[in-house]
Amino acid sequence: MRHGYASFLLAHCLRRFNGERTLAAAYHLFSGKKSAQTLQDSKWFQLEPLFGTWKNVTMTALEAAAAALVEQRLALSAKQRTYTLTAAGEEWFVGQAALFPRHLNGWRYHEAEPLFWQRLSLIGQTLSNLVYGRRFAPICRDERTLQWVKQYLLAKGSRQMLAEALYQELIRLLEAVSEEAAAIFTLRLTSAVRIGWTMEQIAAHLQKDALYVQFQFRNVLHYIMAEAEAGRAPMMAELMSGLTPAVLTQSAQKTYEWLRKGKTVEDIAKLRRLKRSTIEDHVVEIAANVPGFSIAPFVDDEKAAAIRAAAQALRTRKLKEIREALDGKVSYFEIRLVLAKEVGRWTS
Amino acid sequence: MDELTKTLHMQFGYASFRPGQREVAEDVLAGRDVLAMLPTGSGKSLCYQLPAYLLQGSVLIVSPLVSLMEDQVEQLRRRGEKRVIAFHSLLDAEEKWQALASLAKFRFIYASPEMLQSAKFLTALRRVCISLFVVDEAHCISQWGYDFRPDFLKLGEIRRTLGAPPCLALTATAPPEVQEDIIRTLGMDGARRHIYSVDRPNIALRVEHCSSTEDKAARLADYAKRLEGPGIIYFSSRQWAEEMARRLEQRGVGRVAYYHAGMDGEQRLLVQQQFFYGQLDIVCCTSAFGMGVNKENVRFVLHFHMPAQLEAYVQEIGRAGRDGAPSLAVLFYADGDRAIAQAMAEAELLSPRELREWCRRLPEGAGWEAVMAALETAGFTDIQKRLLAYFLEREQRAMPGWLTAEAKERLYGKMAAAIEARRRWKRKKLQEMDEWVHLSSCRRQALVRAFGEELTDRRNVCCDRCGLSLDGYERAVRRPEAAPVRHWREELWDMFFGGGRTNEAAK
Ligand SMILES: [Zn+2]
Repeated sequence: MRHGYASFLLAHCLRRFNGERTLAAAYHLFSGKKSAQTLQDSKWFQLEPLFGTWKNVTMTALEAAAAALVEQRLALSAKQRTYTLTAAGEEWFVGQAALFPRHLNGWRYHEAEPLFWQRLSLIGQTLSNLVYGRRFAPICRDERTLQWVKQYLLAKGSRQMLAEALYQELIRLLEAVSEEAAAIFTLRLTSAVRIGWTMEQIAAHLQKDALYVQFQFRNVLHYIMAEAEAGRAPMMAELMSGLTPAVLTQSAQKTYEWLRKGKTVEDIAKLRRLKRSTIEDHVVEIAANVPGFSIAPFVDDEKAAAIRAAAQALRTRKLKEIREALDGKVSYFEIRLVLAKEVGRWTS
Repeated sequence: MDELTKTLHMQFGYASFRPGQREVAEDVLAGRDVLAMLPTGSGKSLCYQLPAYLLQGSVLIVSPLVSLMEDQVEQLRRRGEKRVIAFHSLLDAEEKWQALASLAKFRFIYASPEMLQSAKFLTALRRVCISLFVVDEAHCISQWGYDFRPDFLKLGEIRRTLGAPPCLALTATAPPEVQEDIIRTLGMDGARRHIYSVDRPNIALRVEHCSSTEDKAARLADYAKRLEGPGIIYFSSRQWAEEMARRLEQRGVGRVAYYHAGMDGEQRLLVQQQFFYGQLDIVCCTSAFGMGVNKENVRFVLHFHMPAQLEAYVQEIGRAGRDGAPSLAVLFYADGDRAIAQAMAEAELLSPRELREWCRRLPEGAGWEAVMAALETAGFTDIQKRLLAYFLEREQRAMPGWLTAEAKERLYGKMAAAIEARRRWKRKKLQEMDEWVHLSSCRRQALVRAFGEELTDRRNVCCDRCGLSLDGYERAVRRPEAAPVRHWREELWDMFFGGGRTNEAAK
């Protein structure tokens, strides 16, 4: 690959940001920061697939990726650390679009993914060693997973049948992704005859960027999790038990419960001893995530219509610009609510 | 067969003891306090694991490293021991906290020093009959031990809180002054000492003097290529470990990987296990690698950078030759390495200017909480904070009350003196290491002397100063090629249905 995969991923963000967000926003997106701002950004700019998918990203890595794009004249740097793709960059990106991991769903799976993978790889290793009749040291040290897998295997009975079932299910799932992705995923697995390879080792073997390998792996993982949730992979669905992602952050969930009991934002702030602005953040999060949640109690219809119109006319999602266009007659809270609702409708 | 040997055979499947194990176990069973210094790889943990099966109640083991604890727990469980539990973090899962109610049913209770700070945990422990209090890696107690951990200092007090059960302090590397510290801190006067030589006769010692860093890299690659593996290569920086792993791989030295604390836990465990199961020939690593790596047949340990003290060096080369077969340790040295080691060793120490600045900014008229809080927000590294907190705590006892301008000045003076004393000690240790590197007489003799011993007999194979041929350490046959990677369908088939069988489905 002529350009690092980091540049490709960043270009994807820059395209969506369209100059309205800085590198820091991309950083928070990749690292999966649970702030109202980042949660909303990923909705507004339809970057949910990337949310929390690159946990150990550094600002330095993103800066280097941006610099590489600029140097190749694929992107231009504007004021305040924002970047936009050039025409050449646009063309380049579209030409590479196939590199985007299309099953990726960080928004939904970034939290469940590590535990799911631990369960899957440990069950794979355990069954493989049982088949071979070998003792082994578990490839996972997380007590929660060790306990869970033990219970699961005890409840299941025949190891032979379970191994057969896992094999069949994995084959079927991996057939649906690219040959390369299937190979990467298989190399990550640990069996009785081979300890799984690290991302770096797979990257060196395939002569690919390690980050690319990581995203291909994650792509398969998210595909499997989605199939499990859709009821098309029964054993994987069992592995998902208890890991199904919550739609709201815990704190927003509490606020939601109070709202349903008829409390106002003001009441809830007092009850929970939180700042009003925090509760407002929750309301925005709820508006964006809970289908059928009405924002009418918080914004009157006329204002909502005006905000929608302004956002469309200005072709922007910048709160400040919208507010100025409406002579400051609406609050930021109201604008965020309307936009959250809008985007929620587009994506769901 | 006596009862000890019977238990050894039944529980551990061994026919006989290794040097020191029986003696230590017997004293432990007799209820004595014991300080045991046994060289790395001599089966130290058996010294408490065996008595645990003959004692009433539970054995509490305090260990400095989570990974070390996990390894021990894992090994015990693999042996079929179910009555084992480990507490290493205040963030442990809910189920574990629930286990506190039934703590007494565990034969082995492992805990980190951090956990022992928890009042809830201590209360639960107090309800348990602790028949033995084990401190693993006990040299961490001493300010003058390599790898000093201030939170180990409270262990003496904790032991008293638990009714002063018999204590077993284990270490592989404790020179006499550190032994004294251990005994004093744990309050085990009159303890029986079992000190075994740090010397590992089957490990030959060698130092390569090189003209530059690049020369070192070239010669190290040469060694790595010629020597019989598997082997471990130590570096003081992550960057070098990664870089050298790449270079060796490119030169076709074999299957090489790197390992350091900057990698995520899963990747680290993969490398560790690949090495253990012979999927790798060489690991390029920082000092983070090794504890808990129970690989018997490591044939060489190379050092690209010299450690800052002999204790660390002894510990690291001790990972070679646990099976007793001839093994080799080579340290590569070039001018400037001493400065690198010094910088690494002193990274934990603030400069007088930094300290003065920090003291100056302390809020006048405030109490000690404010001082501790200021430590948190000062932007120091973790290790700097740990050390300063330790010094501060010491001063706090001597200086109660509010922080006046004069008290601040006095505090600065005390802290500066403590830091300076530590700097001097570190330089002395480095000097000792440096002298060892530049030695013209027997290296083994000098090594054991640093631990207050004398070599009694001459060995056939010893060190480069006594004359050492590398012939016996070179690889006789070509290193096996990495197993070819096959199509993923076949890999998956092998995983569940065993190799050898033909796989019709995969074709
Ligand atoms: Zn010698």
